[in-house]
Amino acid sequence: MARVPPGDWVPHVEAYVDVSRTAAQHSASVDALAALVNKDKLTLFDLVSKMDMYLTTTDHIVRSRGILLLGEILSRISFKWLDVNTIATLSDFFISRLSDWQAIRGALVGCLALLQRKQGVGCIAIADVKRLVESFLQNVLVQSLAAAERKLCFQILSCILDRYPEAVKTMGGEQLYGICEAIDEEKDPECLKLSFHVVEVVMKLFPDPSGLAAQFASDVFEILSKYFPVYFTHGVGDDLDATRDDLSRALMHAFCSTQYFEPFAIPLLLDKLSSSLPLAKLDSLKYLDNCIRFYGADRMAGHASAIWYKLKEVIFNLSSDQILLTTASPKDAEKNKNQIVSEALNCLKTAIMYIGSSDKDLFINLILLDEDIVNKIRSISSAEKSVLGSLEDLTQLHALGSVISILAESSAYFCTRVLQEHFTHLVDVLGASADYESRQLDTCNGSPSAPMSYGALYLSVQMLSSCREVALISYEDCSSVKLAKESWWLILDKKLDQLIHLLGSFFTTASRSLAPMFRQEYISCAVKGLLTLATFPEQCSPLPSNAYEDTLLMLTSVIISKFENVDLWRLSLKALTSVGSSIAKFHASQKEVVYCRTVVDKIVSLIESYDTPMPLSLRLEASYEVGTAGLNYMLRVATSLEVAIITNISEANGRIECAEHVAHLFECYSSRVLPWLLSSGGVSEHALGFALRLLDEIKDLTALDRISSQGLLDPLMTGMKLLVAVCTEGQQSLIVQKAYNIICSVLSLPLKLMSHRLLNVDELVPSHSVQETALISMFSSIIVALRPQTPVPNIMVMINLFTVFLLNGKMPAAYALASVFNKYLHNPEFQHEKQLDKILDEILERCFSTVLANNCSNISHPSDDVNFSDDSSGNRLSKIDILSGLGWIGKGLLMRGDEKVKGISMFLLRFVCSDEILSSIPSHQEEPYGGDSSDTSLATSAASAFHVMMSDSGICLNKRFHARIKPLYKQRFFSILMPIFLSKIKETTAIVTKLALYRAFGHIISNAPVPAVITEAHQIFLVVVDSLAKLSLEIQDKDLVYSLLLVLSGMLMDEKGKENILDNIHITIGVLTQLVSYPHMMVVRETALQCLVAISTFPHSKIYPMRLKVLQAAIMALDDKKRAVRREAIRCRQTWQSA
Amino acid sequence: MVMELINANPVVHEKKERRVRQAPDTIDENAAEPIDQLEIFDHIRDIKDPEHPYSLEQLNVVTEDSIELNDESNHVRVTFTPTVEHCSMATIIGLCIRVKLVRSLPPRYKVDIRVAPGSHATEAAVNKQLNDKERVAAALENPNLLGMVEECLSPTFD
Repeated sequence: MARVPPGDWVPHVEAYVDVSRTAAQHSASVDALAALVNKDKLTLFDLVSKMDMYLTTTDHIVRSRGILLLGEILSRISFKWLDVNTIATLSDFFISRLSDWQAIRGALVGCLALLQRKQGVGCIAIADVKRLVESFLQNVLVQSLAAAERKLCFQILSCILDRYPEAVKTMGGEQLYGICEAIDEEKDPECLKLSFHVVEVVMKLFPDPSGLAAQFASDVFEILSKYFPVYFTHGVGDDLDATRDDLSRALMHAFCSTQYFEPFAIPLLLDKLSSSLPLAKLDSLKYLDNCIRFYGADRMAGHASAIWYKLKEVIFNLSSDQILLTTASPKDAEKNKNQIVSEALNCLKTAIMYIGSSDKDLFINLILLDEDIVNKIRSISSAEKSVLGSLEDLTQLHALGSVISILAESSAYFCTRVLQEHFTHLVDVLGASADYESRQLDTCNGSPSAPMSYGALYLSVQMLSSCREVALISYEDCSSVKLAKESWWLILDKKLDQLIHLLGSFFTTASRSLAPMFRQEYISCAVKGLLTLATFPEQCSPLPSNAYEDTLLMLTSVIISKFENVDLWRLSLKALTSVGSSIAKFHASQKEVVYCRTVVDKIVSLIESYDTPMPLSLRLEASYEVGTAGLNYMLRVATSLEVAIITNISEANGRIECAEHVAHLFECYSSRVLPWLLSSGGVSEHALGFALRLLDEIKDLTALDRISSQGLLDPLMTGMKLLVAVCTEGQQSLIVQKAYNIICSVLSLPLKLMSHRLLNVDELVPSHSVQETALISMFSSIIVALRPQTPVPNIMVMINLFTVFLLNGKMPAAYALASVFNKYLHNPEFQHEKQLDKILDEILERCFSTVLANNCSNISHPSDDVNFSDDSSGNRLSKIDILSGLGWIGKGLLMRGDEKVKGISMFLLRFVCSDEILSSIPSHQEEPYGGDSSDTSLATSAASAFHVMMSDSGICLNKRFHARIKPLYKQRFFSILMPIFLSKIKETTAIVTKLALYRAFGHIISNAPVPAVITEAHQIFLVVVDSLAKLSLEIQDKDLVYSLLLVLSGMLMDEKGKENILDNIHITIGVLTQLVSYPHMMVVRETALQCLVAISTFPHSKIYPMRLKVLQAAIMALDDKKRAVRREAIRCRQTWQSA
Repeated sequence: MVMELINANPVVHEKKERRVRQAPDTIDENAAEPIDQLEIFDHIRDIKDPEHPYSLEQLNVVTEDSIELNDESNHVRVTFTPTVEHCSMATIIGLCIRVKLVRSLPPRYKVDIRVAPGSHATEAAVNKQLNDKERVAAALENPNLLGMVEECLSPTFD
């Protein structure tokens, strides 16, 4: 191996030893040297012999640098193999250097590096480790060193203890004492973390009773105890490798390291429990919890009573108001308090579990016979305390309840003891107060003075739920529970009937006589009681089946008759749902039968009933919630919804609210029930069956007439689409086939001709009656939702039909055609019939010619149903619809990325540019088009066809309805059309045409993905700004103005976009200040102001000339009628004022 | 030199829960939302006290009820209560409130600022000073004073 000549590396050594160099230079030279050694270009021997002078000189600064260099290099070659002799020599050297206090740092670094070496690369011998420990304890006075060196010391110690415990095992007391001394008075957090670990490991090394740990426990603990509770004020920002939690945890492990700490630790922790610092309390509870687990029952038994008294004090907050308010808000204090209580309850649980294992009566006697507890329970059951007085009482009661239930839940024996002691009595009290109340009700006629005892109610329900917990744990051998002579089961069994009766009576009586604040508590408690009873595991349920039924009936009757009491209603519904899911969990077959009969049947039948006063939304909610308990139940709900919908359609009732009613039912079915069913097992048969039944309903013209006259068509179409969409291919083809048959039977069509070619409109003369339109609309909603793989019979006939209806301006036909071409164009399955794309060409050609035609006589036969009074206006109307229909077909093609979309868009563009303006449509029009616009020109509708093409739609052609969607199709369309539009805009002079072009282009820009628009910002920016300026003059374009403004604000957020704005800052600010007073839309004004605020961060020299203008606009906006705008105006004004 | 604080230990009150305005049920573009007491209070509640890191609301210097508003006659009157009677900061506080309101309200308003009756030793003088246009303008010409005002107002423009 080629060695590097000394001349090359010695300068590095000199650089390191030179204290006048910077730290960066020092570390660079160490790195260079270590790299040389690692690559075998420099042996350690050469290095050491050249460094000889630096390592042994009497100048202690140079010497310490030299030793440190060697140590640092050693720590950086930890993966390089070194032979035994080298290691031994180095060990000798560094161990001997430990006595050199002036150069201690280097020695420590070197020792640590040696100790940390892994087994395979040559590591320090165990004898050397022993020598190292001895030398370390003898020579190094840890506490007299600086923090960084102390940290190294603790790292060395913990490394020795973790990796070479045998070297320490043989240590005598003095050495151990030395380690403790090293820790004493330590204050640096990082060192402390290490030193706590050292103590933990040392104490674990000597577990036997005669060992050193036992002897030194008191001394060591004295050192540790000073740090409890950990007081640590460094924030997150301080660059420290330790947090309070870390430290506290390390100290806790040290506390738990040996049982010999028990006589010292437990009293300390109990003492600190009474501290007024919330943090100290929390820590003590956590430590106590861990210590109880670790020290074991034998040692802890003696402390049991002390622990219970202290915990009681904390849980019941006996020493209240002593907690210092360290935090400002009372909310935090409350949170702290709750955390302390819950931690204390945890601790109690641990204590009961671990300490109780030696003497099982110890804790139960302590708690049950405790004077405070006994008094509390007695006061609850006594008459004068039966009313809930205040929140204070409530928290006390909850604390008591938690203690009791923790005790009872921990074992069957404890549960029995608790129930023996109190349960019977509490139920009796409850019964007595209920009797009293009912008597009061009888005599005073509804003005009772003493409501039922909440305390008794709460505690007994709490005990009930403990019983259930115990039953859940031991429900395999529940027969022994039932047979045992004294068990909780028997006690419960005796009082059960009375309890159920009482709980039920709460629903009727308790709510009347109470302050509303506590009413909720009563109700939730009673419902919880019933729920607990009903969800016992079936094998050891104390509830006989008729009582179970009664319980469910009670809750169900609440659902049916008490819907005006919202709290009670929701709680009961929740309880019923959980009962249902618990049945499913335990596979309780008997219970399931009862549940179905009493709950599901009754609630589900609500959907179908007409004459309940209950609002429909609540009925639907109840049914759905109950359905979520299990698949079978949800299927029942679905069926019943179907029945309700079908009856509503078929019954010829002339109700006005009928359409809304059906829409609600459908909405519940399709947006809640169906998704739930699909997510839990994909039951699409139901959807299929329902769709077929719906088709049955519409198969004659009178039914269709009724449906459309009652306004049911829209909900039906939406529902049908959703149903078909979830079906599988096979199911869908069944539906299509059936629908096709219905159409054939209802409309008499020349089928043979239709299946071969596209007929002329004259050849096929459907009457376009309302009924037929309805039928075609339903049919189109089926076609819209088909999957691309579903085979469609007689596709030619359908296309023929839809084309005719499209040419008459029926939009559903356009949706269907768009979906067909989106999904089936170039589908090999349909190629043999006739080339679909040729048909498409033909259809488009007809649409074009119809729109272009001057009069209507040769395309449409105005029939007697469609009573267009004005022939030309009808013509215009259907032309507008055809344009929009072209937009839809174009969208279908665009989404699948077909080239033909170009033809459509060029045609539409031609119309946009044509300056033919149609006079305003007469006000007695039958179908208002486009919502708010009364002055619709063909150019405008051609422009909005671009909106149809670019925007996402919920009606059809989306993911839900299985459309083919090519990725980035919007972006592609945008970049194809952009240059065309730009040149058109440039060459147009007529203002009307320009406006129409702006509209069309605006739709494209605002729907294209923002990043795509921003990359073209330099080309289109001026157009966007000018569009904003021009379009803001008319109210009908307000949505477009807002979308374009959003595009502009998107550009403001982007670096590239900002450059474009800076170049045109004058115009931009001019338009924005104009938009600040845009009268038609609040969000436009708000967004314009926000944009101005963003612009104020631009370079001062650029924006300063516009400052006055912006300020004027902002001051005007200060008096805006909308508050949100005023708020933005203030911000805008402030930023520009100071700009 | 350490300046002695006028009121070294002010009583700090809790910030009241911000009343969240409900979004209007119908999104009516033309429905007007007139300026009201709460809106004006929202403007001034976060102004920082000149000598403590607390807001005027926390020190109970201004409350919602201390604002009188007549939208039709374009008049606002804010009555504030200095923390101590001889508080020399009262004029600064008043100046802050005035500047903030002038910047936040439409120019049609006349803003009237005054110290609560009986809460200040030189009540009349302070009131006169605060409502004298020229003295206010002159005060704002003073860069030190303006800096102080801007600092107190800075938390209100978040």
